[in-house]
Amino acid sequence: MWLWTVTDAIGAVVIVAGLALGAWAVDSFRWSWLPGWAVDGVWLVPAAVGVYSLVELVVAPRWRYRVHRWEVTGDVVYTRKGWLSRTWQLVPVTRIQTVDHTQGWLERLFGLATLKIQTASHAGSSTIEGLPEEQARRLSEELAARAGELRDDAT
Amino acid sequence: MSADRDPLPGQGGQEHPERPGADPRDTEPAAGEPEADVERRLSPLSVVTTAITYARSAVVPVLVALVAGDFNPWVLGGTVATAVLLIVSGLVRYLTVRYLVTEERLEIRSGLVSRSRRAVPLERIRGVDVTSTLLHRVFGLAVVRIDAAGGGALQQEEAKLDAVTAAEAERLRAELLRRRSLLVDREEDAGPEDEQGGQERPEAATADTVHFRMPPRWYAYAVLSPGYLLTPFAVLATLFGFLNQFVDSEALGDYLIERADTIQRFLVSQWGTLVVAAAGAVALLLVAMPLFAVASYMINQWRFTLRRSGDSLVTERGLFTRHSVTLEYRRIHGHELRDNPVQRLGSLVRLSAVVTGLGETATRAALLPLGPRAEVERIVARALRPFEGRLAAHPAAARSRRLFRAVVPPLAGAVLAAALGWSWAAGALLLLALLGVPLGLDRYRSLGHGYDGQQVSVRSGSLRRTQATVARSAVIGWRWRQTLFQRRAGLATLKVTVGAGRGGYDAVDVDFAESVAFAGGVTPELVAPFLVDGRAGRSAADG
Repeated sequence: MWLWTVTDAIGAVVIVAGLALGAWAVDSFRWSWLPGWAVDGVWLVPAAVGVYSLVELVVAPRWRYRVHRWEVTGDVVYTRKGWLSRTWQLVPVTRIQTVDHTQGWLERLFGLATLKIQTASHAGSSTIEGLPEEQARRLSEELAARAGELRDDAT
Repeated sequence: MSADRDPLPGQGGQEHPERPGADPRDTEPAAGEPEADVERRLSPLSVVTTAITYARSAVVPVLVALVAGDFNPWVLGGTVATAVLLIVSGLVRYLTVRYLVTEERLEIRSGLVSRSRRAVPLERIRGVDVTSTLLHRVFGLAVVRIDAAGGGALQQEEAKLDAVTAAEAERLRAELLRRRSLLVDREEDAGPEDEQGGQERPEAATADTVHFRMPPRWYAYAVLSPGYLLTPFAVLATLFGFLNQFVDSEALGDYLIERADTIQRFLVSQWGTLVVAAAGAVALLLVAMPLFAVASYMINQWRFTLRRSGDSLVTERGLFTRHSVTLEYRRIHGHELRDNPVQRLGSLVRLSAVVTGLGETATRAALLPLGPRAEVERIVARALRPFEGRLAAHPAAARSRRLFRAVVPPLAGAVLAAALGWSWAAGALLLLALLGVPLGLDRYRSLGHGYDGQQVSVRSGSLRRTQATVARSAVIGWRWRQTLFQRRAGLATLKVTVGAGRGGYDAVDVDFAESVAFAGGVTPELVAPFLVDGRAGRSAADG
């Protein structure tokens, strides 16, 4: 959850900074083709986005964390994620082609990892984010082993 | 299979016997079919075709240089040298490229200085396409293209033999696929029986059966294919581009400015004539559109045939360039029927296959050109397996959602435009919003999903309506997506993920609980474990 907060915060800061830069440009050059009210109100845009992202920053990661679930039974990997719109995904272990275990630099900082489970269909691949590192490694090995055991010539 | 020779990674776990010998020249033909294990070369005529193909791109600049250079000896000499070089390079290619089909793989060696050898394991081959352009056909040649699965899940590899004789191409195609299926069968006998049959073979015939030959009437349907209707514009655009290269537009502009007075006088005096000319041009275009459409359609789809050859379906089409695409039954997991509203009026559909490994190259998966629905369905019944179930309609909430999405965005745009005082835009957007009503209703009407015990079918879209039918065994997962608005309406979009075709097919706006039951009905082993704990609790929590 904190990882998401940090990632979102970085993204938000970048966006707000970009908008502020744009607003500053508009404000300082005062291009003639822009209507007056747009120039006067230009600083409202980054401000509004800033407030919105602050709220989102507090709410979204918690919400996402509550929604975020995953479960591995013998044969199926089930994941649920999202916050405003949600996604449920079922991937049978038999059809798994590769299990990627990745860790970004931020994730490393938090000791977390992401599992990417890929099947032959790009739409049928799912990811499990924010697993504790140890668990992610164990799970990826387990899944790979099971997939190898149960493999039929699934394409 | 020694690992160092194998360009495809991730091939572990194949229990084939080691093939002795590092150099294929030393390898003994494998026992069994010795006559086929001979190393072969491209056709000698390919020297000519390759040279001509290369030369074609150089012919215009060379001619220009010749004319501009007044045929001076240097340029002339250079041209001759280039021609000789082309022929020599073609000759070298002919002399160095060799290919060999063994029991396990296809090997292609090439290169004079830097040698390369490619080995494509036969079980990785996904399709063999035979193409011959007009040039190739003059010489009775064909290009064989072999699609193979790469190391990764979705990567593609391609091997090309340019060019062999037409007869050899046909032989190679049959040979590759026959050996491949032998190999795969052997593997499957050893391993556990899998359910990957996809579309079961409708009949156990091994001989060629022709399922479809294009009747002349079908060419007229080009008029209803938007892509082909636009060809005159494409031709015009190319012409303009071509002219642009020769005419100095700046000089032309200067010329026009100089003569501005004359032009103006001309315009005033000949106004009536100009109107007539413009009207004539429009009329010509209107007449030309269908004509061009039919003509280019004929060039592309000429004598479209669909036949069954052994364990695969083969399509052939084209007037000048003949394309032949081979799709194996075990790679075909279903089919797609596509139409648009205009085609629906004439009850016409287009059929394509849902094939593993072709990715999104829709043109190659095409099984039939646009044709009457009844006939297409008859062919589906014969060549593939038709969907026999009934499509269930989606809940009423889906209708309001379709309507909302078709009407509200242009309406909002219209309101905004009106507020800004752009009455033209507002009017146009309002019209669009009004058109959204029938569009939304039609989109709702076309929504549907069904399961007939063997195949899953989903349908959606209006301007481009698609009904996809895939075999149960090809379903490799499910995905539900629910946006905030969908949650309020108790709807979700269910994606049937398939390791073929477009990767997944959506059942848009299904009733959430019903869709879970639907998925459970199709693949109980996948969904059932979660119905008790995860799923039931989840559905309740979302209410």
